[in-house]
Amino acid sequence: MHIQLSLRSGPIYEQIEYQIRAQIFSGELKAGEALPSIRTLAKELTVGIITAKRAYDDLIAEGFLYAVPGKGVFVAEHREDEIAHGKTERLRERLREAKKFARENGIPPEQFAEILQEIMEENDERS
Amino acid sequence: MNGLEIKNLAVDFGNFKLDATLNVPRGCVTGLVGRNGAGKSTLIKAIMRQQEASGSILYNGIPFFGNETEVLRRIACVFDSPHFSTYLRPKRLLKIVKGMYPAFDEELYGELMEKFALPGDKLVRTFSTGMKRKFGLILALCQKPDILLLDEPTAGIDPYDRGVIIDLIQQFMLDEGHTVLFSTHITEDLDKIADYIVFLQNGKVLLSEEKETLCETYRLVQAPELTDGMREEAIGVQTSMFGYTFLTRQKNPVGEGLLVKTPTVEEIFIHLLGEEEKK
Repeated sequence: MHIQLSLRSGPIYEQIEYQIRAQIFSGELKAGEALPSIRTLAKELTVGIITAKRAYDDLIAEGFLYAVPGKGVFVAEHREDEIAHGKTERLRERLREAKKFARENGIPPEQFAEILQEIMEENDERS
Repeated sequence: MNGLEIKNLAVDFGNFKLDATLNVPRGCVTGLVGRNGAGKSTLIKAIMRQQEASGSILYNGIPFFGNETEVLRRIACVFDSPHFSTYLRPKRLLKIVKGMYPAFDEELYGELMEKFALPGDKLVRTFSTGMKRKFGLILALCQKPDILLLDEPTAGIDPYDRGVIIDLIQQFMLDEGHTVLFSTHITEDLDKIADYIVFLQNGKVLLSEEKETLCETYRLVQAPELTDGMREEAIGVQTSMFGYTFLTRQKNPVGEGLLVKTPTVEEIFIHLLGEEEKK
């Protein structure tokens, strides 16, 4: 597992959750794999213990992780279709944010769609 | 369970009165914030029993009176200036402290002294501020306390050494039975690792709250104009030539040209104080 925090973008626990989810989706974190303890995670990321606990608690509530009392926190089993559904849901979330941004900045829906199309056709070397 | 349960702890210096009631949760890091003279050091000294005070304190549920030796072995403190003679060398100080604390961890002492390249044979007074602070923290940690108090542990220290000290605090917190209370002006450190925040103002607890809850309670707003609707909800309004900055408890403040963000501990501190001073 690897997590990088940027102090500028959103609550820390959300960043931790996002990155752990992404690594479960990508297969980098495998079902049954043990994660560091809450306190170790807090120390390694230089964040509060409650912040680290909140990230784990949320992911446990969402079913991505499970806790075994006295043993630790582990990556839960996931069916392929669940992971696929999770991915498209997260993409939707991000696009909704983009839609909100477009509306707030007076970019009409047609132009928004055009820009999305252009991005899809872009050469991926840049990213 | 609380590491420290402080009830009506009062100190009266005539021109300054401390009267504090607060809980410091066990297993967590609590940051103590306040202006100079707010009573932070007095509170820490009173907890350490180095300042006479009335009221009561439970240390991991244990009262002080009747358990003096046990309590004093469970708590350790790093004061803002060394509270031992700096005309001694670490080697000699080690012998003294070892005699006072039977649980003293000499192995850990050797390890940390080496890790931070602190010389055992030089007078402590020749150490830099950062070295003195690190040495104080090492002595405190090696006493194997359950409750660690730190008075301004990162003040006057360069960013690298601040990182080292923060790391040592977090290392100490790997044990969930441990408790940390530290006072600081450098709220950036609190933004990072504190779980709870206590604001002290004129000897009183102005606010005591979980850090994330605290930061989510407020929004920091920059507004070009201060409308009447905003004014009612605005806390600690600051005026500049470009407009107004204030805190609000409104979740989603709306208005023309508003910039809204989640505040840092420092921003909350400044605006709440500004509001208090107005009263």
